[in-house]
Amino acid sequence: MKRVRLDPRTKLYMILVVSSIVMMSATTPLLWAVRLAVTAIPLALLVVEKRYASALRFSVLYAVALLLSFRFLSEESTGVFQSLLTGYCGIVVQFMPAFITAWYVVRTTKIGEFMSAMQRMRVPDGIAISLAVVMRFFPTIKEEYAAISDAMRMRGISLGGGSAVKMVEYRMIPLLFSCVNIGDELSAAAITRGLGGKGKRTSVEILRLQVFDWLLIAAFTAAAGFFVVFKYVL
Amino acid sequence: MKENIIEIERVSFRYKGSAEGLLEDVSLRVKKGELLLLTGASGSGKTTIIRLINGLIPHYYPGELAGSVTVAGRDIRRTELYELAGLVGTVFQNPRSQFFSVDTDGEIVFGPENIGLAPEEILRRKQKVVREMHIEKLLDKSLFALSGGEKQRIACASVSALLPEVILLDEPSSNLDQNAIENLREEIKRWKAQGKTIVISEHRLWYLKDLVDRVLYMDAGVVRREWSGRDFAAMGSDEIRALRLRPLAAPELLAPDCGLACAGKDGCAMTEDLSEPGGGIVLRDFYFSYHRKPYLLRKKRFAENDPMLSLRIARLVLPKQAVVAVIGSNGTGKSTFLKCVCGLVKDCGGSIELDGKIYRGKDRLKLSYLVMQDVNHQLFTDSVEAEVLLSMREKSGARYAAILESLGILAYKDKHPMALSGGQKQRVAIASAIAADARLMLFDEPTSGLDFSHMEKVGALLKSIAAQGNTVLVATHDPELIELCCDYILCIENGKLGYLKKTRPRIGVDGVSA
Repeated sequence: MKRVRLDPRTKLYMILVVSSIVMMSATTPLLWAVRLAVTAIPLALLVVEKRYASALRFSVLYAVALLLSFRFLSEESTGVFQSLLTGYCGIVVQFMPAFITAWYVVRTTKIGEFMSAMQRMRVPDGIAISLAVVMRFFPTIKEEYAAISDAMRMRGISLGGGSAVKMVEYRMIPLLFSCVNIGDELSAAAITRGLGGKGKRTSVEILRLQVFDWLLIAAFTAAAGFFVVFKYVL
Repeated sequence: MKENIIEIERVSFRYKGSAEGLLEDVSLRVKKGELLLLTGASGSGKTTIIRLINGLIPHYYPGELAGSVTVAGRDIRRTELYELAGLVGTVFQNPRSQFFSVDTDGEIVFGPENIGLAPEEILRRKQKVVREMHIEKLLDKSLFALSGGEKQRIACASVSALLPEVILLDEPSSNLDQNAIENLREEIKRWKAQGKTIVISEHRLWYLKDLVDRVLYMDAGVVRREWSGRDFAAMGSDEIRALRLRPLAAPELLAPDCGLACAGKDGCAMTEDLSEPGGGIVLRDFYFSYHRKPYLLRKKRFAENDPMLSLRIARLVLPKQAVVAVIGSNGTGKSTFLKCVCGLVKDCGGSIELDGKIYRGKDRLKLSYLVMQDVNHQLFTDSVEAEVLLSMREKSGARYAAILESLGILAYKDKHPMALSGGQKQRVAIASAIAADARLMLFDEPTSGLDFSHMEKVGALLKSIAAQGNTVLVATHDPELIELCCDYILCIENGKLGYLKKTRPRIGVDGVSA
């Protein structure tokens, strides 16, 4: 089977719609249904991209939070544990859809595609390059963070010797230093290869919105419209 | 006479905010099609010259620049960096930080896209480069999943795709194993055959000696000596050593094939050396696989007969008070081995027996200490003193001073670790390891990118750590380091033990036969 490759513009539109929907609270079962539907789509896309482990992890986390907040927790929940749990589940239920979508987009979009999409949308190069560097840095931060965590475990200071401030400090200081160093070398390498020139940048990624893109755009537009109409108009 | 393509006239340079000048009145000319090698100690100005030619000085690294630099008739000072992109290409030292994309294809076309070539032309160039370099297998992959050598090949490809006339390489072999260096050599050879002008700054000389046209030896910002390629290749090893350079002879030591003599159940033991009381350090049942997906809750256990194992060590006896080199090609399990031994890989079982006591699981972390390749990852505090005290179980001022003294870094005790040089940082990390009472010290590539003198210092340090009663395991591609300080060689291939053998009697650090 040919892999479905979505246009980055469709993906960005998905992020936009899903983040808007999570910012509006769902109040009726119908609105909840819309919300679940827009969460299910990026999950399904993760499965299509063969990212089974993350799809499974997200689904379980989201399902547990949903179940807990609807079945076991209510406004009468009291006590430290229950209030913490309510807060935690509330946040997960509310914002997880946007997180899943963003995760899907960052994990499956190539930098070249992204730059090309930005150009097609007439986004200035400065902004496009900065966003591309951010995407490039996610895996770097992950690598560096893993190495630093290892080093901390070796020193027995993973818990910062009991101090929460130290715990964060020990993690952040080396992380910042290595990210600054890598960023510096990275920019030097990129500008020797002509990044930031005055001429117009080209791209080998030919972007075309295909049937599947249009279907998704239609579905997400419908979801957003539906949400707004049923929540604010009717 | 061919024309000069690079002309550096009476250049002096000092980085902004630095008191010392890095280059003093340097003049050099490079002819079109010439392959020039710059060598000399770290900090002698090699990298600065590379940066002068590609324009990073003064456009990216500002400073006081006197004199003139001209590349292909352009005054570098008045040329914008992006105008140089199609003319001068640079391969940098660190494969990790020189790519902009996340995927290999995107990286190869990145430069041509920047200078605004037509997409058809870019794809044509990409295909050509891929075919010439035989890197079809590396396409459509994440750069983060590649080994250092593979990353460096992609870096070469992305420079090639811009078709520059001048190609600069800044210590390109620092992080590479011998196979990857052979690949790099082939690449340089091809560039030379295409008539490119090439300038390389490098410590390792063996892979370049029969390719270079001219060699410059730099010292403290001045070009001290100059040889033709032929004269340089014919130099005796005494002369090379007197210049504090790495040897010209190709190392035979790190031949990739290690055989699998010890892969079986009984593993390897240096029995003849273990007659000493207390025996050696016995490692048992280290199995680990990257290919098995983690279960959600259950802890992973790897069986010995699992065909997908990335590390398979049934039994290994290591000598005490010795420096053991761990060798093997890139991506063959050296780093995995080190991380498993010191207990950093949670799912890797295995036990270490030392002095009749058996350490498992987290206890292994207390016994051992890994000095990482990038020591920046393991410096956490705001002073050297705090860094060492952090590791001590019982804080003792006298002991910490003694440790710093023995490593020659007592004078820096109040400095911020990040403000120190690379070698000093490494010493701080070692000081923390000693303070933590580690008996098994592991080093991951401690000498990558170091010049001969610094490498020699690290070698002496490893020996002294072993002499104090510790066992040192050092994963390395550096044949000179092994020659200098290692007592045993442990070869790992595809996660299995190849052999463990004693090194030949060697020349001691002080030049006396040991």
